[in-house]
Amino acid sequence: MSRVEQVDTDQAPLAAKPFYANGKPGPIGETLAQVPELMEVALPFIGVSLGASSVADFRTKELVIVRASALQDCRYCTLTHMAIALDAGVSTEEMKVLRDAPAGAAAGAFADEREAALLAWTDAMALGSGDIPDDVFAEFSRHFSEPAIVDLTMTIGTTLMLNRYCTALELPVAPANLSKLAEAGLA
Amino acid sequence: MTVDEAIEAGLIGPNLWLYSNYTCNLTCTYCLTESAPNVPARELSRERMQELAREAAALGFRGFGVTGGEPFLLTDMPGRLADLSELLPVTVLSNATAFNGDRLNGVKALGGKDVTIQISLDSAEPIKNDAMRGPENFRKVLAAIPRLLDAGVGVRIASTVEDPEHADLSDLCELHRSLGISDEDHVVRTIIRRGRAATEGMGETVGTTELFPELTVTADGAFWSPFAPTVADGRLDTDLLVTRSTRPLEHAAETLIRLVSGSGTTRYDDRFR
Repeated sequence: MSRVEQVDTDQAPLAAKPFYANGKPGPIGETLAQVPELMEVALPFIGVSLGASSVADFRTKELVIVRASALQDCRYCTLTHMAIALDAGVSTEEMKVLRDAPAGAAAGAFADEREAALLAWTDAMALGSGDIPDDVFAEFSRHFSEPAIVDLTMTIGTTLMLNRYCTALELPVAPANLSKLAEAGLA
Repeated sequence: MTVDEAIEAGLIGPNLWLYSNYTCNLTCTYCLTESAPNVPARELSRERMQELAREAAALGFRGFGVTGGEPFLLTDMPGRLADLSELLPVTVLSNATAFNGDRLNGVKALGGKDVTIQISLDSAEPIKNDAMRGPENFRKVLAAIPRLLDAGVGVRIASTVEDPEHADLSDLCELHRSLGISDEDHVVRTIIRRGRAATEGMGETVGTTELFPELTVTADGAFWSPFAPTVADGRLDTDLLVTRSTRPLEHAAETLIRLVSGSGTTRYDDRFR
């Protein structure tokens, strides 16, 4: 149970109803539904920010979401996106690195230079509180276009915001996702 | 589309409704809001009502409706209504059973103001009326109406019945006419299956297809209609919530207009206006 009510379908406010059209929208949506005007702008934004784009594919997005969430110790985001990341082609071994490697140590475990640079950027954003070092940005920007840099940096920023939201409100992980992770040896 | 244009086009109702409070001295069997003496007040402050009224008048609303709960349990309600009536005409819904002593004097002071008190009376038979509305309700209402009329306060009667089309209202109409209330000032409403009425298995199920959209503000947000911010088992219903925030009111009004425009419904059930 989350710390606040997750609005059920029959109580979904008018402006929130479209988000329930294909079933319940999940704990983030179901809590945001308490403030429908917030839900109306936040959910589409979250969808665009975390979703695959023409400059950052599904796997790339999930790498940074899982990694940032793990560093922030957000149980809901980490476990939910680990289950999603399996569908994005992230392997069990890669997932363990994303989940367990200490700050700054995940990048080295990824052979792909592009992904390593992205994870270094993610780690710097997720745990740093001040400026991001120039050398980290230089390596990141060597592999990604400016639109991709903006897109992925916003993905990380959105993830960090959601990490705190989901942790603070103790949003519950769907049992189906827990089962999926258990089957993959990631429980 | 502005509020003024939406009202002109008949898309939304001309009045802004304000739920002043949810507390009530009665515990009616069909109450939408489960109002009773000890429920959470959910009160809109006098200052907030005034702010909302000013904004509504500037947006183009044509009048105010004030409801609850029993608005006159708030001792400063006559003053609040007088303030609102300086801006636009006001209709306040009341059970008229708390009009005694100072409270009656306060209400009498509304004489000559653009304030109409819409009083609930459900049957010409005291026993039948009081079964739904509480002991002594009939007697108190019939005592209050002449006093209000004598003081120059506008009065309407609202009757809530299970089936208006087939109900025999002849005795009730005869009664209100004898009190000096014209047929034009007698409103007959259907019980809506929300709140305590739903718990009791009474009334008709309604939604945005039936309820005419009339922006309604409570302490909990802005709603589709005054029949929307109901309470069931102590919990506020949010299925007809428009926005949680009512600051600025314009945003809530714009959202309602957008929802109405997108609903595709152009004809509503006249019984739920």
